Amino acid sequence: MLNVKGVSKTYEGKVSYRALTDIQLTIEEGEFVGVMGPSGSGKTTLLNMIATIDEPTTGEILLNGQNPHQLKKNDLAKFRRRELGFVFQDFNLLHTLTVEENMVLPLTLDGEKVSEMKKKAATIAEQLGITEIMNKRTYEISGGQAQRAAVARAMIHSPSLLLADEPTGNLDSKSSKAVMEMLEEINRTKKTTMMLVTHDPQAASYCQRVIFIRDGKLYTEIHRGDNRQAFFQKIIDTLSLLGGDAHDLSSIRV
Amino acid sequence: MTFRQFAFNNVFRNKRLYAAYFLSSLFSVMVFFTFAVFAFHPALGQGAVVQSVSIALTTAEGIIFAFAFFYVLYSMGAFLKTRKNEFGLLIMQGMSPIQLRLMVFLENLLIGFFATIGGIGLGLVFAKLILLIAENVLIIGTDLDFYMPVKAIVLTFAAFALLFLFISFFTAAILRSGKLIDLMKSKKQSKGEPKASKWLALLVVLLIGSGYAVALRVEGVYVAAALVPVVIVVVAGTYFLFTQLSVFIIRRLKEKPSVFWKKTNMLLFSDLSFRMKDNARTFFMVAIVSTVAFSAIGTLYGFKSLLNSAIKEENAYSITYTLSEKNTEIEQQEVSKINEVLADKGVEARDEHMLLTYFQVEGNKDPLLIVKVSDFNRFAAMIGQKPAVVSANGAAAIEYTNEMFEAYESGEELTDLRIPLLSGGSLKPNQVIKTHTMPVSRGLIVSDSIFEQLGKPVQSEPFYAWMSDDSAEKLVEAGKVLSEELQNGEQPYFFASDFALYILNAGYGPTLFVGLFIGMVFFISAGSILYFRLYSDLDEDKEKFKAVAKMGLTEQELKRVLNQQIALLFFSPIVVALIHGVVALTALSNMFYQPFFVECIYVLLIFTTIQIIYFFIVRYFYIKQIKSAL
Repeated sequence: MLNVKGVSKTYEGKVSYRALTDIQLTIEEGEFVGVMGPSGSGKTTLLNMIATIDEPTTGEILLNGQNPHQLKKNDLAKFRRRELGFVFQDFNLLHTLTVEENMVLPLTLDGEKVSEMKKKAATIAEQLGITEIMNKRTYEISGGQAQRAAVARAMIHSPSLLLADEPTGNLDSKSSKAVMEMLEEINRTKKTTMMLVTHDPQAASYCQRVIFIRDGKLYTEIHRGDNRQAFFQKIIDTLSLLGGDAHDLSSIRV
Repeated sequence: MTFRQFAFNNVFRNKRLYAAYFLSSLFSVMVFFTFAVFAFHPALGQGAVVQSVSIALTTAEGIIFAFAFFYVLYSMGAFLKTRKNEFGLLIMQGMSPIQLRLMVFLENLLIGFFATIGGIGLGLVFAKLILLIAENVLIIGTDLDFYMPVKAIVLTFAAFALLFLFISFFTAAILRSGKLIDLMKSKKQSKGEPKASKWLALLVVLLIGSGYAVALRVEGVYVAAALVPVVIVVVAGTYFLFTQLSVFIIRRLKEKPSVFWKKTNMLLFSDLSFRMKDNARTFFMVAIVSTVAFSAIGTLYGFKSLLNSAIKEENAYSITYTLSEKNTEIEQQEVSKINEVLADKGVEARDEHMLLTYFQVEGNKDPLLIVKVSDFNRFAAMIGQKPAVVSANGAAAIEYTNEMFEAYESGEELTDLRIPLLSGGSLKPNQVIKTHTMPVSRGLIVSDSIFEQLGKPVQSEPFYAWMSDDSAEKLVEAGKVLSEELQNGEQPYFFASDFALYILNAGYGPTLFVGLFIGMVFFISAGSILYFRLYSDLDEDKEKFKAVAKMGLTEQELKRVLNQQIALLFFSPIVVALIHGVVALTALSNMFYQPFFVECIYVLLIFTTIQIIYFFIVRYFYIKQIKSAL
C-alpha cells in the first residue's frame, strides 16, 4: 500500500545536514504502524515526506503504486484531500470554524453535497463521541476533544492513509488513552491504514508494528503479539537498547 | 458548509485578523468619498472661477484614487503575509491553488464590499465637516451646504468596486503558495539578520550630503533645475539610509558589549536588527510620503502667507484712490460714490486726501515726489505710523521697504540730491524714513515752509485714502461693489486691499485646500502603515516578553523597552522626513528669495504634534496588548 524506496533527505544550508539515509519501508493495507526514535532521528521528516509536506532528496514514495510528489499542484491537492488524513500534535484546527465545520473541511474543499457532509459528520461524531460539541468553536473545547475533532477531520473522507504526528503529545494520559483506543478502533473496524509518529511508548503500544529510527536510519522493528502490555515492555526495552535519552522513556506526558 | 460559506465564515468569525486590512480599505474609501462630496458640490458648479478649479479637483481625485490603489494593495500584501501558516494548513487539508485563490478573492470582495459601504457611510458623517473646512479655506462666496451626494456615492461605489475587483484578481494571481513545508513552518522560521555594507553606508552620507548641499546652495531659477537630480539623489540616499546605514549602526552597537549588554538594551537591539529587514522598506516609504506631504503643505501655506503679507504690507490703507491729474468732475463723482458705498455697507472709515506733488529735480530722471510734512503726518497718523519730524530747512527721503524684496529703492541715494529753493539756497535730504505711507516708492518730505519755496510742481495727483477697522467682510463687500462700479483703468486707480486679498485667496483657495487635503491623507496613511508594521510583530513580541517576563522583567522595564521600540518605529522615518522637509522648504524659499521660515516651522510643528499624539495612542494600546499576554 505504502512503499518507501531508498528515501534520503538532506537539508541544504551553510552546513548541509542529512536527516534521513536510504529508508526502505513498506506498509500493508490496513496496517497500523508506529515510528519511534530519539529526538532528531528523522521520524517527523519521514512522516512529512509521506504526507507530501516535504519532498525527499532522493528515492521515491509510492502510495498505491502512485508517486504523489510527481503530481501537478491541483492533482496533489485532490490527492491530499481524498487519500490522506493528517493529525497534528497541536491539533491545527481552524479557530474560525466550529468543530463540525472543521471536520467537514476536506469534503467542503472537494465540493461535496451539504446533506452528505452533514450525514458523514454526524456518523463520525457519533463514533468518536463528540456529538455534543459539534457546534462549539475550537477555543471552547478541551485538548482531548480537539484532538478527537482533528481525528474526525482526518477520517471523514475515508482516506487510504491516516498519518498522525505525536497525536498524544499535548494530551493528558486519560485523553491520550481515549484517542489511541479510538485510532485502534478505527483501524480495526474501517481497515484504515495508519502511520503514527510518537515519543510515547504507551501510545506506540497500540500499533501492530513499531519501527525504530536512529540518526536517520532504520534501526529495527518489532511486532505486537496479542498482548499490548507485553508489547509495551518490548518497546521500552528496544528504546533503552536504542540508547535514547532518559527523556525519551519518560514520555512527554505531564 | 459549502466552499463559499467556508470563505465567508473565515472572515466573519475572525474579525480581528481582518480588522487592520478592513480599516485601511475603509479609510481609503472614506477619503475618496469625502473628497468627492466636496468636488461635486453643486455650489462649485457655478461661476467663472470654476473652470480651473474643477480641473484641479479632478486631478486631485485621480491622485487620491491612485494612492488608494497602492495603499490597499500594500495593506493586502501585509495582511496575506501574516496568514502563511493558515494557508499551509489549508493546503495540507487538500486545498488546491485555485481554491486558495478563490478564497482570497472571495474574502477580498467581501471586505471590499463592506469597506466601500462603510467608507461611504462614515464619509457622509464627515462630509459636513469637510464642507465646513472647505468653506473656510476656499473663498467661494457661497455657503457649502450639506446635500445628498448621489453623484459622489455612485462614483465612489463604481471606482472602488473596480479597485477591489482588480486587486482581488491581482493578489489572487500573485499569491504563490510556495513550498508547503515553508508555509507550515513560517512561524518558526527566522528571516535572517540583514547585512550591511560599509561602503553603501558611506554612500548614504555622500548622497544625502551632496543632495542637501546642492539644495541649500542654489538660489533663484537654479532651484527648479536642480530639483529633479537632488530629489533622485536624496531618495536613493534615504533608501540606503534605512536599508544599510541603520543596519550598519545597529550592528556596530551590538558589537559593543558596553552598549548592547546594558540592561534592557539587549532586548531592544536584538530584535531591531532583525526587524530592520522588514522595517527598512516601510520606513523608506513612510519617510518619502511624509516628506512629500510636508513639502507640499509647507510650500502652499508659505506661499499663501507670503502673498498675503506682501499685499497687506504694500497697501497700508483699506482703500486708496488716485488720479493722474486734477479732474474735478470725475474725482468728486467717484469719491462721493466711494463714501456712499462705504456708508451703505456700514463701514466706518477715516479718510484723508492730499495732492501728490511732483517736481523736476536735477540728478533725478523722473519727476520726484515731494510732500509737505503736515500732509505726510496726516496720512502717517491714519495708519498709526510715527509722525515724521523734519527741521525747518531739512528734508527726509522716503524709502519703500518690503520684506519680500528687501528694498525697492535705496533712500540713501536720494540724500545725494540737491534741491534748489526759490529763495536761492538748496536743500539736502538728511534722513531716511522707511514707510508705506505714500503710494510711491521714493520721494522727499519737507517742512511746510520750505515746500512753499519749491515752486510749481510739474505734476499733481490727487490721492485719497480710507482706513477702517471694520470687519474684513464688510470691506470686501464694499470693495466688490466699488470695483464693479468705478471705471478702473491705469488712472484713476482704485484699490481696495481687503477685496484684493479676497480675490487672491479665492483664486488660491482650491489649490491650498486640495494640497492640504492630500498632504493630510498622505500623512495619516503614513501613520497607519507604521501601525500595521508594528502590529504584524505583535504575536512575536508577546512570545518574547512572555519568555523574558518569566526570567523577571519589571513593568517599568517592559514599558521602557516597548516605549523605545515604538518610538523608534514611529519617529525615525518622521524625523528623516522632517529634516528632508526643512531642506526642501529652505530650497524653495531660496527660489523666491524669501524665507518662509515661520510658516515652515508652523507646518512642521503641527505634523510633529499629530505624530506624537498618534504615538501615545498606539503605545497605550500596544503596551496593553503585550501586558495582557504576560
